[in-house]
Amino acid sequence: MPKVVIPVKEEILRLAERRKARGAIDDIGQHLAELIDLGFEYRFERLYREFEAGKISLEYFADELGLGVRELYAELEGRSLPTSNIQRQR
Amino acid sequence: MKVVFDAGPLITACKFKVGEKLVIDHLLTGCRVLIPPSVEEEVAVLGARYPDGVAAGERIADDRIHVISVNAYRWERHLLGYALGDGERDSIELCVQEPEVQALVTDDHLAFVVAARLGLTVWMLPDLVVELANRRVLTGEMAIAILEAIRPRYRAGVIEYSIEKLREVDGDA
Repeated sequence: MPKVVIPVKEEILRLAERRKARGAIDDIGQHLAELIDLGFEYRFERLYREFEAGKISLEYFADELGLGVRELYAELEGRSLPTSNIQRQR
Repeated sequence: MKVVFDAGPLITACKFKVGEKLVIDHLLTGCRVLIPPSVEEEVAVLGARYPDGVAAGERIADDRIHVISVNAYRWERHLLGYALGDGERDSIELCVQEPEVQALVTDDHLAFVVAARLGLTVWMLPDLVVELANRRVLTGEMAIAILEAIRPRYRAGVIEYSIEKLREVDGDA
């Protein structure tokens, strides 16, 4: 996994240090990396809901995530989600 | 028959196979597929690490899929008001620009609605398959095989509806 230096809000760092002190986590860096993953997931799900509702297009969805359309297509396939958001009225 | 594809259906058509042939090759027997450069970029350049991106690139290179530049952005201001990407906007503009385009082929709800509001004929990829069966370019059997192959990319009801339409075509024969 590539390593990057990023600014972290002090309160987030303090919370991570506290969790480590309590023994809830082993490594602060790994914990922060998990938070970044959760952030991506949150953003993906939020945008997917907008896509599903037809408010944004597939390509706009990809742009907002920083992915190409083909990468988003693969991401949706990997999650067993359709790449078309057109559906019959229920 | 000339049709313009946006990125989603092009990826799907270049990804799934029926028999030994990719779906796109079955479609190309009955229609001329046009795409704007932005769709080529998304599918064949940025998507070049995927087999379907390579397949699209090969068909562009030997002129089976035609890349046409958008010269005039007639609806630019209107289209910028929607949460569309460049490829979707350019595909819509290409339909307006090029003579005798039969339809925009998109599987995207927003692009579908926006294009329909502009007065364009819009089809999903399964609609194109049904149309080609209607025109006897594809047999009913082949059309069903294509619809079944691409089914995983669609929401419930879409493929079922197309199969119903195919039965009407067969009934008319």
